Amino acid sequence: MDLLIKIALIVLAPVIGGLIYGFERIVRARMQRRIGPPLLQPFYDFFKLADKRRMIVHSAHAFLGIAHFFSLWFALAVLILGGDLILVIFLHLLSTSLLILAGYSTRSIFSHLGANRSAISILAYEPILILIAVSFFVQTGSFETASVFSYNEPLLYKLPLAFIALMLILPVKLKKSPFDVAEAHQEIIGGVELEFSGIFYEAVYTAKWLDQIFCYTLVYLFGASNPLIGLGLVLGSFLYVNALDNSSARVSYKQMLRFTLMVALPVAFINLLLSILQHTL
Amino acid sequence: MKLRSFRKKSPWILHYNAGSCNGCDIEILACLAPKYDIERFGMINTGNPKQSDILLVTGPVTKRSRERLVEIYAQMPEPKVVISCGACASTGGIFRGMYNCEGGIDQYIPVDVYVSGCGTRPEQIIDGVVQALAILEKKTRDIEESVRLRNKSLSEEGQINRRNVAAEIKTMVQ
Repeated sequence: MDLLIKIALIVLAPVIGGLIYGFERIVRARMQRRIGPPLLQPFYDFFKLADKRRMIVHSAHAFLGIAHFFSLWFALAVLILGGDLILVIFLHLLSTSLLILAGYSTRSIFSHLGANRSAISILAYEPILILIAVSFFVQTGSFETASVFSYNEPLLYKLPLAFIALMLILPVKLKKSPFDVAEAHQEIIGGVELEFSGIFYEAVYTAKWLDQIFCYTLVYLFGASNPLIGLGLVLGSFLYVNALDNSSARVSYKQMLRFTLMVALPVAFINLLLSILQHTL
Repeated sequence: MKLRSFRKKSPWILHYNAGSCNGCDIEILACLAPKYDIERFGMINTGNPKQSDILLVTGPVTKRSRERLVEIYAQMPEPKVVISCGACASTGGIFRGMYNCEGGIDQYIPVDVYVSGCGTRPEQIIDGVVQALAILEKKTRDIEESVRLRNKSLSEEGQINRRNVAAEIKTMVQ
């Protein structure tokens, strides 16, 4: 039964991600006192993009976009089915680097800028994710997410600092203000996704929905043993990310890097040290 | 088919300022703001020609901006609709006949909807966009139709004979 839910979650991941994205757009609109688009708006966009004439820069560029989508889906599947957390993080890194390669493969200056900034935001969030995974290992004795799911109490109580560190880097991962330098819609017009169009943009657009599910599953891991606490954490982090997105302006990439490496990284590191001390004493 | 009704539910707008005084641009931004909120129709101001459906142009086309205008128009994938927003973009407005511009964007790119007003009102812009959506849907349907079934072929081999075309132009010039 449990496995059936997981498989359904993986297969329907793009649909659920689209619903989450539609809900997010409504929530963001309501925060600005607007009515906002209908819930199914991402799917309307999806079908419209399928109708547009296909324009590609070159075939490798379009292929890298599609490869990005499928590798992200695979990473999500490994995460949900209870695979190795380090493997999941590196699979996610692989899918992001495919998109960065696509960004570099065109001659557009905005695409290059976006690829540079995506690489910098990987530098900002990746060390913290690894430290969080290591502290999971110290706590549960295994890198596998299956052991996190079956742990006897929510990891939030054991590793509160790790949760804070994850909250600090969540806007970087989801490309939200104030840390949305990689996407920067008014400044570099979407960065790496700039040169994609029509049905090939769809792969990148849908990958954004998958990314949402990926990030919120990472949040869910902190309350995995008790689904109510897990879902509460997901909802809380969802509202936090969107409120932050609406209320803050974009910072430069240097400020972002300084913040994540000087605030979030030490928090994650102290968390790791504390949990090691707790286990050796 | 039911899927086709989705087409006009998500128009993505590209806004280009071809030398406008910013009067119309502020009104376009007012459409996005809470009072008019065009996002409830699924419209997004993308700023990326490769992913947008509707080109909103403001301002008389100055001689500096016309190349960019044509280039942006060419980068948008079909089907696409152009809206000229305001008196300047439609006819040249008060700038008509000045040394730096030549009245109206329709001298350079085909325009589908003209929105009047010097400072267009947000209501007019929304009305123009809604009319553009009908045109967009018609254009999408036209693309699907087979050209060969409907039109006569241009020559016996089914290809344009360039020599004949050149000869026609030559007679026109003379």
